[in-house]
Amino acid sequence: MDPVTIDTTKFKPVRRKPETALEKLEDTGLISTVLAARERKGLILLTTIDQVFNWARLSSLWPVTSGLACCAIEMMATAMAHHDIARFGMEIFRASPRQADLMFVAGTVTKRMAPRVKKLYEMMPDPKWVISVGSCANTGGPYHESYAVLKGVDNIIPVDVYIPGCPPRPEAWLYGIIQLREKIKNEGYGAKWGLNK
Amino acid sequence: MNGAEELKQSLPSSVISTGMQINKPLAVIKKEDILPVASKVKEMDFDQLSVITGIDYQDRFEVIYNFFSYRKKENLVLKVILDHDSPAVDSLTSLWKGADWLERETYDLVGIKFTGHPNLTRILLPEGWQGHPLRKDYDMDTEQFVTIGEDGEDIVSTDGSKLLRRK
Repeated sequence: MDPVTIDTTKFKPVRRKPETALEKLEDTGLISTVLAARERKGLILLTTIDQVFNWARLSSLWPVTSGLACCAIEMMATAMAHHDIARFGMEIFRASPRQADLMFVAGTVTKRMAPRVKKLYEMMPDPKWVISVGSCANTGGPYHESYAVLKGVDNIIPVDVYIPGCPPRPEAWLYGIIQLREKIKNEGYGAKWGLNK
Repeated sequence: MNGAEELKQSLPSSVISTGMQINKPLAVIKKEDILPVASKVKEMDFDQLSVITGIDYQDRFEVIYNFFSYRKKENLVLKVILDHDSPAVDSLTSLWKGADWLERETYDLVGIKFTGHPNLTRILLPEGWQGHPLRKDYDMDTEQFVTIGEDGEDIVSTDGSKLLRRK
């Protein structure tokens, strides 16, 4: 049997600036290889299931509606039209943790609120991510020596991204959200369960 | 004549001294006579009880009442001095409804008993919390944690293993 030969001239040369929709899709890094089979007038997309899952997850992060203190005001400002987190597919703040996969811990976690925050986190379905926002949620902040405030929300739940500030401006929120998207993009399948880290 | 001097004129046996507290007329009164003095204050048209403060001076407690009159646009401050061992004073809830939560807060954080209060329980901290945090002798070294019980009630304990991730 003759060896299989591939005629590489049939493939499109890689252009530096993506112009067509297909090239733009390839440029996202989501699709590893795009083969255009012109003879069949169709497309073959080659990718890995990790990339598709991660792309789906990072493109529709739904936060749970929870604000603990003044950082929540900045969360509202981030969600409003001027900064507009609908760009990231995040504008749907869910009223139930069962429908959410992201929690902003926005504000002071008092001792009395701490078990409630933990319960909210446990009610969220996997995979789930947590962004700790502001000095209070990160370390306790100005209330670090208080009798009634937890010294960092990472004492009770795992945190993916910390955003410093008191409170952080919406630009800092957007930067933190982009950092989380980068993190999700590079996760392996099952990374949240410690299988493929 | 300001409100404190007017008070001293009408009830000379109850008022210990008068003065000014940051541009507000101040009257230090005997703790036994808080109810008749407060009735007089209400007759003098001080319709709002703005805030109640409790202070721990280690040898004594002081409870400070801030009044405001909307008609006269005047402030009045009353102060009672309580002994440190068993601080207790009569409740003003019969005269001002708003004294209810203010007195509960003062009881919660400073530990002053308001006799005659209809529901003198903690308002900010959960029931079962040990100590009153704004006292000078409050134990800051033992950390207390709150967990939720089966019926949704708060359970206070010094053991944080149910709540914390690492021990």
